[in-house]
Amino acid sequence: MLSVERVCVRRGNSATLQDVSLSLAPGRTLAVVGESGAGKSTLIGAVLGLVPCTSGAVSWNGAPVRHCRPALVMQEPRSAFNPALSLHCSVMEPLTATGTRADPDRLAALCQGLEITPDLLARRPGQVSVGQAQRVGILRALIAAPPLVLFDEPLSALDAVTQKHTARLIAALQREAGFAALIVTHDLGYAAAFADDIAVLRAGRIEELTPARAFVEAPQTDYGRRLRDAAFALGALERVA
Amino acid sequence: MTITATGLSACRAGRAILHPTDMQIGPGECVGLVGSSGSGKSTLGHALIDALRAGGQSVAHVPQSPDEALDPLRSMGFHWREAERALSLAPDPDRQGALFEALHIAGGDLGTRPWGWSRGMQQRFVIAMALIGTPDLLVMDEPTSALDPVVAADTMDLLDRYLADRSTALLLITHDLGLAARRVQRLMVMDAGRVVEDAPTAQVLSAPATAAGRSLCAHRNWLELPC
Repeated sequence: MLSVERVCVRRGNSATLQDVSLSLAPGRTLAVVGESGAGKSTLIGAVLGLVPCTSGAVSWNGAPVRHCRPALVMQEPRSAFNPALSLHCSVMEPLTATGTRADPDRLAALCQGLEITPDLLARRPGQVSVGQAQRVGILRALIAAPPLVLFDEPLSALDAVTQKHTARLIAALQREAGFAALIVTHDLGYAAAFADDIAVLRAGRIEELTPARAFVEAPQTDYGRRLRDAAFALGALERVA
Repeated sequence: MTITATGLSACRAGRAILHPTDMQIGPGECVGLVGSSGSGKSTLGHALIDALRAGGQSVAHVPQSPDEALDPLRSMGFHWREAERALSLAPDPDRQGALFEALHIAGGDLGTRPWGWSRGMQQRFVIAMALIGTPDLLVMDEPTSALDPVVAADTMDLLDRYLADRSTALLLITHDLGLAARRVQRLMVMDAGRVVEDAPTAQVLSAPATAAGRSLCAHRNWLELPC
């Protein structure tokens, strides 16, 4: 279980995270939404231990998060890979880094779930589409069976159809593998459809943390309502009559 | 003025990425150009802009990435003055202030180069530059993709107000049918370098005629995905 307790992060004189607390159990999905600069990516950095916390604590089952070897899926899939290596080499890196042997059955099952062919893995990042690269990014994240996976805007580089297809693949793999998913996104439609809970981050604080469906029906804060109404206005969410 | 272009096409590395396409857009008409990534939407937008400018018509363009519109070595203030000069407009602080206010970028420093602004702010600055005149056509390529929802919704509202009292036509290029459906009366669906559907928005939404149109409609809404 991921536990974030009263975490503060300061950069220079400004606080980028203030008193952030949340928890996330295996198999659950938490979406963190909020405006640009709200601190969403800093929260991912703090959970991974890449951004030092000024105060507060982050842990996985009481131990430092890095001990559980969490994985990260990044926003720009093609620049998330070494351009000189084949995708296959990059995908295997989490295993070689930990000295784990590749399990061919697991690799085959993941590839099947993500609709990745061996031919695709033989290519380099520049030779595949953004949608294909992001599916390979998810494969790399899941190859070493991490109990916690962080997603930083995993769908924003993809088109509307590919977004929904990829979201469904992620959800199916999560049902199977049971990892905890922390998803940072500004797409409220995605959050409402695929997350269990939605946390609204604003100016470094969690304004509200609500079950996803309840949030769509009745956000608890003014800003939550503005976010939800904007998603309606943009067509990211449809009002249910 | 009605916008007409015929035989728009484009090749890359010997391969046709836009097959010969004709376009006609009425004065003040709002048209959505939708399709998946790589279907040729932006290419058609560029081809249309080139043809219209060559024919002496005025077109304002908000490209998909602000990098295409902003010179990294010039200040934001320089870009703004350039945009005014191109339209022979006298500097008008009120016009600038009102646009910046509506787009939530009033706090931006015009003395810095683009890198001093966040990407979302750069995007909104480019939108503001496109809205200072009254062109025959406004082409917006994924105008809100870098913006968070609240700012994106305000930006689209500003666009509605801008278009309401002008005869400027709009070509809204987006992969997101949900966004286009609320803003335009007519939809053009692209697939593999061709416009495969061109019909009133309501008709495309209720009875898409092609596989590309059906796919976009089926994936329009996050909460009602097909199984």
